[in-house]
Amino acid sequence: MREPLLLEIRGNSLDDGPGIRSVVFFKGCPLSCAWCHNPESKRAEPELAFDAERCVGCDACLAACPEKALSRKRHGFIDRARCTLCFRCADACPSGALARVGRVMTVEEAAMAVMKDKPFFDTSGGGVTLSGGEPTLFMEYAGALLRLLKGQGVRTLLETCGLFDMARFRETMLHSLDEIYFDIKLIDEAAHRRYTGASNVQILENLLLLLEETGGTAVSVLPRTPLVPGITDTEENLSGIAGLLAAHGVRRASLMSYNPLWHQKAEMVGADDPFGKKGPMHEWMEAGSLRRCRDIFARAGIEV
Amino acid sequence: MLLYVESGAESKKSFTNTTMRLLLNLVAAAFNLRPSLNRYLRAQDGWLNFTVGVRTESGSVSCAIEFREGRVSVLSSIPERSEVVLVFRADAAVKKLLGATPTDQIYMLLKSELRVEGHMGYMNLFFFLLSLLMHKKQARQMAKERDRSKRSLLKSSPRPDTSLSGELASRRSARMRGERVDAGVKHLEDPYLPEYSLEDFPRLKRFLDIHLSVKPEVCPEMPEILTRWHRQHGYETDREGRPWNPILRKGEAYKYFMEQRRPIVAEGSLLAGTTTSRQVGCVVYPEGSGTLIWNELFTISGRTYNPFDISEETRELLHFRVFPYWNNRNFREWVRAKYGNPLCQQIDERYAMYFSWKQATISHTIPDFPKILRLGTAGLMEEIRREMERPDNDEEKTATLKAMILTLEGLRAYAKNLAERAALDAGAESDPARRGELQYLAGICAHVAENPARTLDEAANLVWITWVALHMESMNAGLSIGRLDQWLQPFFESDMARLYSEEERRAYIKHAVELVGHFLMRCTDHFPLTPDLANFYFGGSSSDQVITLGGVTSDGEDAVNDMTYIFLKATEMLSLRDPNMNARFHPGVNSDVYLRRLCEVNLITAATPSMHNDRAMFAALEPMGYDIRDIRDWSATGCVEPTLCGKHIGHTNMQMMNMVAALEMALHDGRHPLTDWKLGPDTGDPAGDDFKSFDEFFDAFTKQFAFLIDRSIEYNHMLAEAHQYLRPTPLLSSLIGGCIEKGRDVTKGGAIYNSSGTAIVGLADVTDSLMAIKKLVFEEGKVAFADLKRAVDENFAGDPALLALVRNRVPLFGSGNDEAVAMANRITKWAHDYYGAIPHYRGGKYTTGFWTMSQHVVFGTLSGALPSGRLAGKPFTPGLTPQPTASKNLLDNIRDVARLDPVNLNNNIAFNVKVVPSPSDSHEKTVHDMFSYVKTYFELGGMQMQMNAVTSATLRDAMAHPENYRNLIVRISGYNAYFVTLNRDMQLELIERAEYRI
Repeated sequence: MREPLLLEIRGNSLDDGPGIRSVVFFKGCPLSCAWCHNPESKRAEPELAFDAERCVGCDACLAACPEKALSRKRHGFIDRARCTLCFRCADACPSGALARVGRVMTVEEAAMAVMKDKPFFDTSGGGVTLSGGEPTLFMEYAGALLRLLKGQGVRTLLETCGLFDMARFRETMLHSLDEIYFDIKLIDEAAHRRYTGASNVQILENLLLLLEETGGTAVSVLPRTPLVPGITDTEENLSGIAGLLAAHGVRRASLMSYNPLWHQKAEMVGADDPFGKKGPMHEWMEAGSLRRCRDIFARAGIEV
Repeated sequence: MLLYVESGAESKKSFTNTTMRLLLNLVAAAFNLRPSLNRYLRAQDGWLNFTVGVRTESGSVSCAIEFREGRVSVLSSIPERSEVVLVFRADAAVKKLLGATPTDQIYMLLKSELRVEGHMGYMNLFFFLLSLLMHKKQARQMAKERDRSKRSLLKSSPRPDTSLSGELASRRSARMRGERVDAGVKHLEDPYLPEYSLEDFPRLKRFLDIHLSVKPEVCPEMPEILTRWHRQHGYETDREGRPWNPILRKGEAYKYFMEQRRPIVAEGSLLAGTTTSRQVGCVVYPEGSGTLIWNELFTISGRTYNPFDISEETRELLHFRVFPYWNNRNFREWVRAKYGNPLCQQIDERYAMYFSWKQATISHTIPDFPKILRLGTAGLMEEIRREMERPDNDEEKTATLKAMILTLEGLRAYAKNLAERAALDAGAESDPARRGELQYLAGICAHVAENPARTLDEAANLVWITWVALHMESMNAGLSIGRLDQWLQPFFESDMARLYSEEERRAYIKHAVELVGHFLMRCTDHFPLTPDLANFYFGGSSSDQVITLGGVTSDGEDAVNDMTYIFLKATEMLSLRDPNMNARFHPGVNSDVYLRRLCEVNLITAATPSMHNDRAMFAALEPMGYDIRDIRDWSATGCVEPTLCGKHIGHTNMQMMNMVAALEMALHDGRHPLTDWKLGPDTGDPAGDDFKSFDEFFDAFTKQFAFLIDRSIEYNHMLAEAHQYLRPTPLLSSLIGGCIEKGRDVTKGGAIYNSSGTAIVGLADVTDSLMAIKKLVFEEGKVAFADLKRAVDENFAGDPALLALVRNRVPLFGSGNDEAVAMANRITKWAHDYYGAIPHYRGGKYTTGFWTMSQHVVFGTLSGALPSGRLAGKPFTPGLTPQPTASKNLLDNIRDVARLDPVNLNNNIAFNVKVVPSPSDSHEKTVHDMFSYVKTYFELGGMQMQMNAVTSATLRDAMAHPENYRNLIVRISGYNAYFVTLNRDMQLELIERAEYRI
């Protein structure tokens, strides 16, 4: 089984499915979306993050680093070419400004960490959400975790980018899920390649298969589209997606309002950020444009 | 030789001494030369003779001013016989005082830059006399201070954000519907009563407007009448010179007072009677805290926080006739005189370690309303008379029973006077509808003056009149009303049973909602008389009259009924800070429909009701040896504390105890840092190498804590004696089970159940600090104890890395860490066991609570930095709420608090959660999320939870633009306050609380 790194297990989430939920964030993703709102989840390998705001300037890390990879003069503080990810600096850091991103947890450890909130799932109608990153990169692990949770009566939900092997998914995960939030970002294949680094052919195929196979079963599939200014929120893209969904009998989908806070997180792990320092990619979405996007779906008969 | 010493002492004196003497000479000259001032030195019983010393700790300033037979003189040394000495920390403090605003002066007292040795009454008198010279300047200073603060707020927030105030207002228009599932709900089709809003009750709207706009006025009625009676009949001895039996003296004085006081039916009210002679009044209890406002008689109406109007007549009355008479006849000074200004009292008067509420009142209890509803005064007197006929009664019993009769006669006389008044008012009333109401009220009062109640209207009036009467005996602080939904339901049902048409029944339900609204509004007609210092100590607290809803009956059955929901409707519409609404929930017995409604009301009002878990409370109370049937009849008192209704004197707010002070003393080998006072035992110095293990340090902490507890209990016992002598409460005793049979007043242990409860401040801060010491010093060896202590002493200045280490690398209470929870349990258990083992003067036990009123702010102001990384002067967390940094996950907080052993929390807790509704969520979803938190918390065993559903942004807007938020209530720690009436420190503390989006 391929052991994933987990970014974090976040309790008390009210945005990742119904009720009060705990969300298990996986590290690593087959897509590389330019606007990824969890940039620290893109790579499957461990990373060193630096949060300048938390740093108290004590220099304990400089003394601890055997590679001399840290320098206050350097933009971003860390020379990532030199850094060997030994994390001695993070251990020495009193404030948590330097931190290891991604840690190994056994399936049982992860299950224990979420099970402490089970009473809250039960009263609220919540449960556990697997998110990321992309959980389906680690199907055996994810499947084992889901089975363990289902066995304890926990309701489960997967948030996925949709790029996975359907046969294996069926085998390992599908039957342990109550809900699937399935992202469709761009309908145009070329655009999809350009902005996410991969084709959308398999993603769309998977979605249609899933819609067909889960129809009439207890598993519900909710297609979701993140609204990214000028990229996914165009009339053309949204009406294309809405048209496809409507043609396959989808009556409910979700549009996710753009959240610009990811830029800061990208900087902390030294991830690429091609969008500069200003412009619409740094603004929250206005109510008017959100309404416009919703109307496109509504016209296709899809509730959002 | 003598001359030599004198000149030696003189040579120590500084230039400041010369300045001070000069100023005192000016004061003396003014009073000696100006007859308009000199007249204030002669009270009704003669000249006010006293001496006030002024000195610094070092002796660099030392002089005195003497007031004798109308002459004022300045002395170059402080005579032995001085009534009071003002002691300044240093010359700088003297200079600071001279230029200080009234607010600065209060902080100087709180922070021990100035301390008072001796008689507080004379200090207040002295300051009153000074205010004759300076009050206009003081008023200007206060106005300037307010302007400055207003300007700076407006600078940061020039325009009101109406989207924020609008969001709060819009919650009122949201309406959920409720199913009728509770067995006790007999008549309400939809128990949530969504069809009504405040707009349907114009009178309630008017009352609310009065409440939010009328400034309370100091009411002279009680001190005037009582002082008059006592001058005629004596205090220590009667007219024949025989010592008074205190309880008979009280009975006679009370009866006279009740006969004499003005019967008033407030305009438009469905309930007769008022607590004061003013529209909204402050009662002056002369034997309690009354004399504490002597110094403010001129300034109280212009002060920044909770200003009270005062008329010229009242001011003259209090200064010339009332306060001089009571200056030694009040709890504090009685103890000081009898016990020679004991250490335990001196500690209390330094404000930073503990505060004993008993110096003002015992009143935190709940009388047996069902009994007076069932028997009326006539039946109650009949029962007492039967008891009087027993042959074996001792003298004390006979006197006590006689005093009960006297007070009940007083209550009866007042009710009859109200009946007459209502009839007279009816005669003068032009509006026929109101005339009819007044005639009806006259009939009700005449009936309930003696007889049991028969209808809901009669019951509500009898409860209200009794409530007024009880407040004429005990202070309006924490006296609580109990389970009104339970006690009024039978009347509601029998009234409903007499109605046949659907229309009549609907109208009657609406009437019941309005009647309850009138009752809640009547409870706002009085305000405790708080000295300005109390605005910093108990900011924004009102009388804290708790009403408790729901839970189970004494048989353990579901107690939620029609009246429960009717009270909730009135609570939702009025959003009052007081009565302080509390609700019990019994998991497995009470319905989700009920709990969901509690959450909805909490969301709409932003802060009320506070919610309690019956199961946890029962677990806490069962080891006390109480009858389970009585435990099931518990009700919150004052803030959150449990009282067994009608049978229990739990004096549940005996004191506020600053546990952090004990920790600070343990870090300084018994010296309290702020007061620079070596008080506690020698327990070792962390700067040396005195502690070999964490347990040794924990031991030092508990030794210091034990020292403070012992002193506070000593003081409690002395004050208890003062209460027995100065303020027996025979009326209350007649309504507390056990007193009639035993023939003993409640102050002497007459009740069936007795206890006293403490409120321990700083649990989370102490737990986290001890965790830091345990982990970093003793287990991981990351820092030497001496270094940590030095950093704490220096407020972590110069050691940001150590500050970051303690803040980030120590598992905190509320983070989901087992060890931190174990530490909190270890501390609470120690406190519970220690308090619980101290013999109680009335029998019973001392109980431990972990809620803080507003003391987490003021005690925080008076404490240095802590090993937890909390910096000097910052507030502690409210109640036992975890630090905002403990976890990003609210569920960790909830789980940890629920894991505290309830047995150690037998005076309850206050767990604050600030939740912020998301603008995109529906009303239903927000309510459902709140419901999920509370329900799970209760299922996990949590005892109490209170939610503020308001954002920091809204609170900031309210700070700058109070006019848009006059009825925004916030829960402090146990009680509610109007946010805009709070002092600045408290406002900021609320803003900085952790906020969880829901």
